Amino acid sequence: MKLLLKQKEFSVLAIILIITVILSFVSPVFLTVQNWLDIIEGNTVIGILAIGMTLIIITSDIDVSVAALTTAVTVSIGYLFQFLPDNWSSVVLIFLIAPLIGMLLGAFNGLLVSRIKIPAIVVTLGTLNIFSGLVLYITNGNYINSTNFPDSFLAFSNIEMAGIPILIYLFALVAFGTWFILKYTLIGRSVLAIGGNAQSSVRVGINFEKVKMFVFSYMGFLGGIAAIAQTSYTSAIDPNGLAGMELTVIAAVVLGGANIHGGRGSIPGTLLGVLLLAIMQNGMILARIDVFWQNVVTGAIIVIAVSYDEINHRRNQEKLSNIDVKEAS
Amino acid sequence: MSEYILEMEHISKTFPGVKALDNVELKVQKGEVHALIGENGAGKSTLIKVLAGIHGADEGGKYLFEGEKADIQEPMDATLKGMSIIYQDLSLFPNLSVAENIYIGRDSKKKPWTKINWKSMKKLANKALAELDMDIDLNKKVELLSIAQQQMIEIARALAFDSKLIVMDEPTSSLSSGEVEKLYNVIDKLKERGISVIFISHKLKELFRVSDRFTVLRDGQYVGTYDVNEIDEQGLIKKMVGREVVYETNKEKAETGEKLFEISSFSKEGNFKDIDLTLHRGEILAITGLVGSGRTELAQSIFGITKNVQGEMWLKGEELKISSSEDAVKKGIAYVPEARQTQGLVLEQSVINNMTLPIIDTLRNKLKLIDRNVEKNLTDQYIKSLDVRPAIPELTADKLSGGNQQKVVIGKWLSAQPKLLIIDEPTNGIDIGAKTEIHKLLRRMVNEGIGVIMISSELPEVLSVSDRILVMSRGRIAGEMNTVDADQEEIMKLALDNEGIESGNDTKTPNGTHHQEV
Amino acid sequence: MNAKLSKESILGLIAIGIFVGMSLFTPRFFSSSNLSNMMFQLPEFGLIALGMMVVIITGGIDLSITYIAAFSGVGAALMMTNGFGILPAIIVGILFALACGAFNGIVVSRIGVPPILVTLGTMVLFEGVILAITSGNAISGFPDAYSLIGNGYYMGIIPLSLLILLFFIILTGILLNKSTWGRRVYMYGSNDTATLFSGVKNSKVLMKVYLYASLLAAVSAIIMTSRYNSVKVDLGSSYLLQSVAAAVLGGTNIHGGYGKVMGTIYAVLIFQFIRNGLNLMGAHSSLVDVVIGAILIVVLTFNFFSDKFSRKKAENTPEKAA
Repeated sequence: MKLLLKQKEFSVLAIILIITVILSFVSPVFLTVQNWLDIIEGNTVIGILAIGMTLIIITSDIDVSVAALTTAVTVSIGYLFQFLPDNWSSVVLIFLIAPLIGMLLGAFNGLLVSRIKIPAIVVTLGTLNIFSGLVLYITNGNYINSTNFPDSFLAFSNIEMAGIPILIYLFALVAFGTWFILKYTLIGRSVLAIGGNAQSSVRVGINFEKVKMFVFSYMGFLGGIAAIAQTSYTSAIDPNGLAGMELTVIAAVVLGGANIHGGRGSIPGTLLGVLLLAIMQNGMILARIDVFWQNVVTGAIIVIAVSYDEINHRRNQEKLSNIDVKEAS
Repeated sequence: MSEYILEMEHISKTFPGVKALDNVELKVQKGEVHALIGENGAGKSTLIKVLAGIHGADEGGKYLFEGEKADIQEPMDATLKGMSIIYQDLSLFPNLSVAENIYIGRDSKKKPWTKINWKSMKKLANKALAELDMDIDLNKKVELLSIAQQQMIEIARALAFDSKLIVMDEPTSSLSSGEVEKLYNVIDKLKERGISVIFISHKLKELFRVSDRFTVLRDGQYVGTYDVNEIDEQGLIKKMVGREVVYETNKEKAETGEKLFEISSFSKEGNFKDIDLTLHRGEILAITGLVGSGRTELAQSIFGITKNVQGEMWLKGEELKISSSEDAVKKGIAYVPEARQTQGLVLEQSVINNMTLPIIDTLRNKLKLIDRNVEKNLTDQYIKSLDVRPAIPELTADKLSGGNQQKVVIGKWLSAQPKLLIIDEPTNGIDIGAKTEIHKLLRRMVNEGIGVIMISSELPEVLSVSDRILVMSRGRIAGEMNTVDADQEEIMKLALDNEGIESGNDTKTPNGTHHQEV
Repeated sequence: MNAKLSKESILGLIAIGIFVGMSLFTPRFFSSSNLSNMMFQLPEFGLIALGMMVVIITGGIDLSITYIAAFSGVGAALMMTNGFGILPAIIVGILFALACGAFNGIVVSRIGVPPILVTLGTMVLFEGVILAITSGNAISGFPDAYSLIGNGYYMGIIPLSLLILLFFIILTGILLNKSTWGRRVYMYGSNDTATLFSGVKNSKVLMKVYLYASLLAAVSAIIMTSRYNSVKVDLGSSYLLQSVAAAVLGGTNIHGGYGKVMGTIYAVLIFQFIRNGLNLMGAHSSLVDVVIGAILIVVLTFNFFSDKFSRKKAENTPEKAA
């Protein structure tokens, strides 16, 4: 079932396993539960954003404003904290308001892409400048630390269930929810459909603009949730904290098998992509590899992965167009 | 209820400046196969688009489906009413499963958060496939299926929608002969179940095999509707073109000279095998065969687009080693591809830029920069000699008609002064006037000493233009003959590899004359 | 058809308009010190924007361009701090950049990976290599003569670096419009299949595009390192997204096939005037980003509606222009 896709995810999984085996020899700490929990918790923000980015890349678009958008929501959260009472209702309110703000910002991207038909790379480049510029203007680049946070929020951040931090549950919920949307809802299947063949999708009555609007708004929605995760994880609001993260997010999605040509990509694949980047980083720290070499390895892996994917893609295309040559009689 | 499933009368469609349909009629009975025919540009596809709800017709027409006024605002309305359209390029999703491709569209009017029920989806898909006696894994992705199987998925989708009318736009254009026969059987089966089919095709023989009635359009106007028993091929052609068009088989024995071009034991896995071919000075060599017989692949291998080809190749006595299209052009080989709009031309760029693209390096002045005057003069010269209209070199190529676009592509290669020109489906989608011009041009080139290999699946064209004919089938050369001795039937037999169809409604061909398949 | 101004000329007029407006309403904008300030800032950004434009004309994008610049700057800096002369240092700097460009070019043109993915990867890769070499530290302390490139004047009035930019504006214009390579770049950008079927060696065309972009990045890097007298991993990194914005605002089609040198240069000027003017008005520096982003979106939205409007108009007039 789904042979091709599974194969691709399988190869990412295989690489992860190989790295895991190597690293467990290099450092005894690597293969401990605590280390893996730390890795996952530390990559919750990237992971949540990558899940949203997966949907966008499936429709063969891209969103480079995600980090700026998320930062804009974290700053809004910081601002809201001044007005929120110090009880559990503020946590609930934050979970209502932050995704809503994110969704509105994402919808703005979606509107420009779907209605005004400006290429997504240009739109999100523009909104990246606008979001991050406004954030820096408003905050003056200043860091807000947790002294201003409601205690209830800090308490929320420290929740652990069965020894697992709350953020990991949040991450899992987002991953499962998005997987469910992609697999079991009409809008989710429409996302895959317009990525697979835009013209066909119009012919079978799928509203192209609506689906584009959805993926960008959903990205914004998850940006809002990621903002909560970021605030909770760092217990601070740093206007520069996520700068450049959009590229890591895109890299994780691409490593996970989503293809910029559209139509390919899955939540399990993306999770593996995030995990691969995460354990490499963690492993290199544990292996005491100079921190400066980490980017070299990450960059090389991205280039190799996309090249490998392209070569494979071509070979398959060629095979499909082959004809059945008659054997000599 | 009337006996007609579909009644369209007085249908007109005006685009800015053009009347694409003028008072057209199309009435389809229940359970019949109705052929819609006409030349390119006759208005068939516009009519289908009106039917499908892609275009709205002008005021005043009558459009009834099952005896009721069809109020169709968008494509899905038509589908939900029971009309399915199978476009030539199919409307499938390669990355989705068979089951989903059959099911998709069903919920398009529902809320976005509607839950997908995979079980009932599979059940529905299974049922539709069973009706077609198809055995395909429902979870398989559609991109892994053959074109024929993909077409069946489209038909299954139509069945799953309980369609009462299925429109098939040139369904056989990319099928092998065995697959075509299977499709005919499916159509027969649909008919038995009372489903009506509108069948669009350019292959007249095929139309006589499957259709019950014909509706003919010409220049956006309704010509008439005819029963299969009351008209023959010749009569149909007359209705389509408004006059009797006959192509004379080329009877002249060409004065052939020395060997100009030769390939021997050319092979490429999955494309063709052991191809030998010789072209003499002064002759036009035609390569014909069905789509997918390896003709185009062979041409693209000679031209260096397809790589890793085994075999030898000589041009004017010199052995050629070609590994890219750049090499091929340098050695004097030119190739006019079949896909004019995507491969032949850069549509968004000017005629002048297109015309000089292969030879731009030779148009440099002392400073190694493009000499605009030389470039302009050269382009003007070819625009004039080929009679490209409008004769504006700065115009972008997308503003030209198909025939004029083809002239630009040919001009592009003439300017390169090739020794060998390979031209793939030279008159595909070109009106009759321009067709004749292009055929004359090919003869002129041969007389000037350029070798011409013409690939064509239009037999009348092959017979009237070429001097010698090679027939390809399943990647091999199935036969060779001089055009003077050639016979349409025999070519078809070779092309079909003898596994093919009994030519069902074959009409007699009068001596030496062949009717055009439009 | 009535005589109409080209897109680029309109942009040029807007640039002049902004310049006049800023001069009238912003104190000190039209002062000699401020004008020379702008003239010194312009070249480094202009060069990178030109490089980005050439890549975008092929339908690609080069996200690694500023790291190529930084890498090149590091190369030159290492040479100088190790006692080599200025000229060898510049040559090594350029070679470093060309090596990066060649790497991008090979992966894009030979393997056929979409440029956005390749350069995303090489951006991280080059950044990593720079970090590994410099350990994240700045390299500084170049010979006095070197600082002339970015800070010196020609004949006492015109900044040398501006002349360098001018040279590359003319060179890029000639290459794109008059050379056969330039012609192929545009043709490739519109339809790479048709160029392949016309005997154009696409991979060669693309290779040269990425090499040329990296050359411009290297020249920009030399000007920047000379001006700042130091180099760090983030050299010029703020120009990455701005250069894409400038190319697009300048009329370059993000899908390829169209783009003019002067359009991009006018866009660069507009950004420069606005940045400088806003600074003088005392606006927060990050507001400049907001304004640039807003201009980009507003202009493209405006284009969308004006296209729609003119299309409607064309439909209402019965005869179509030939």
